[in-house]
Amino acid sequence: MPRFLKILVRNLLKGPATDPFPFQEAFTPDRLRGRVVLNPDLCLGCGICRHVCPGEAIRLEPDEGRTGYSFSIWHNTCALCGSCRHFCPTGAITLNADWHGAHPQTDKYRHAEHHFVPYLRCAGCGAPLRPLPPGIAARLYAHSPLDMTQVVKLCPDCRLTATAKREGERYGTTANPG
Amino acid sequence: MGLFSSITVRSPWLYRINAGSCNGCDVELATTAFIPRFDVERLGCKYCGSPRHADIVFITGPLTLRVRDKVLRVWQEIPEPKITMAIGICPISGGVFRGGHSIEGPLDRYIPVDVNVPGCPPRPQAIMEGVLLAKQLWLARLEEGEAGKNKAAHAAIS
Repeated sequence: MPRFLKILVRNLLKGPATDPFPFQEAFTPDRLRGRVVLNPDLCLGCGICRHVCPGEAIRLEPDEGRTGYSFSIWHNTCALCGSCRHFCPTGAITLNADWHGAHPQTDKYRHAEHHFVPYLRCAGCGAPLRPLPPGIAARLYAHSPLDMTQVVKLCPDCRLTATAKREGERYGTTANPG
Repeated sequence: MGLFSSITVRSPWLYRINAGSCNGCDVELATTAFIPRFDVERLGCKYCGSPRHADIVFITGPLTLRVRDKVLRVWQEIPEPKITMAIGICPISGGVFRGGHSIEGPLDRYIPVDVNVPGCPPRPQAIMEGVLLAKQLWLARLEEGEAGKNKAAHAAIS
């Protein structure tokens, strides 16, 4: 058989090489870095994502009344490097495969994601307190005999006081001399 | 002429300007255009080599101080109506170069941008999506122009 016939048959069987994209959905790999998303239930507010972000796409700041902190990601300056995902201690930041980003200029500053993570109130003094997700708390207090469900409700100052009281009781001195 | 232009499909010609890009987005643009897999010529688009023939212009890169005046000069040579597309995060916001000493961007400080395609670099499919959006805007603007011209003609007659 002449060689060109072989090629012809092969090409007929293979079909067109062109991706049918604008008329059909494009093939998207599962692990494509398309867009950064935050799960606010897991966010600690530590700010490591803002620190490592090369494009300064992440903004994280407490609101005026200190009732919580706002977390925004502006996709138009995000290089999709995945550093935030890599460094996030709780896995709150992930990248999904949604690559449909083209938008008209009027939506330039709306192409962003905003979240508001409210502060908890300290059970002792009522000071605002960054929430600690239960999974992280369990990991932190894994080797401690303490009841961590009570400890995580306290602010650092109240936690110090509670520790001092507890240690004082353990060594038989009066817990609260004042 | 009016009937002819209303039944024909308009085909925008594309042009690229590199405003200090790292070449990543330019490679994606070349990929979108030149390999059969993401053939933009199916959509009636065609690359051209001269700004005077262009309808849609892609600008990549954060607009550095060195190329600013050249980019503006080339952009002004493109006839109206034109659609300007910012490809990649650099022309949109400055991206990772934002705040650098030689960065004059973002691009919309100097040039009215119409379509943004973020990504570093954007996927070829994302660029094609942007091209489709730009084509819609371009057709709308052409119609506006025609309507405006007709109105002017009517006003001149009556």
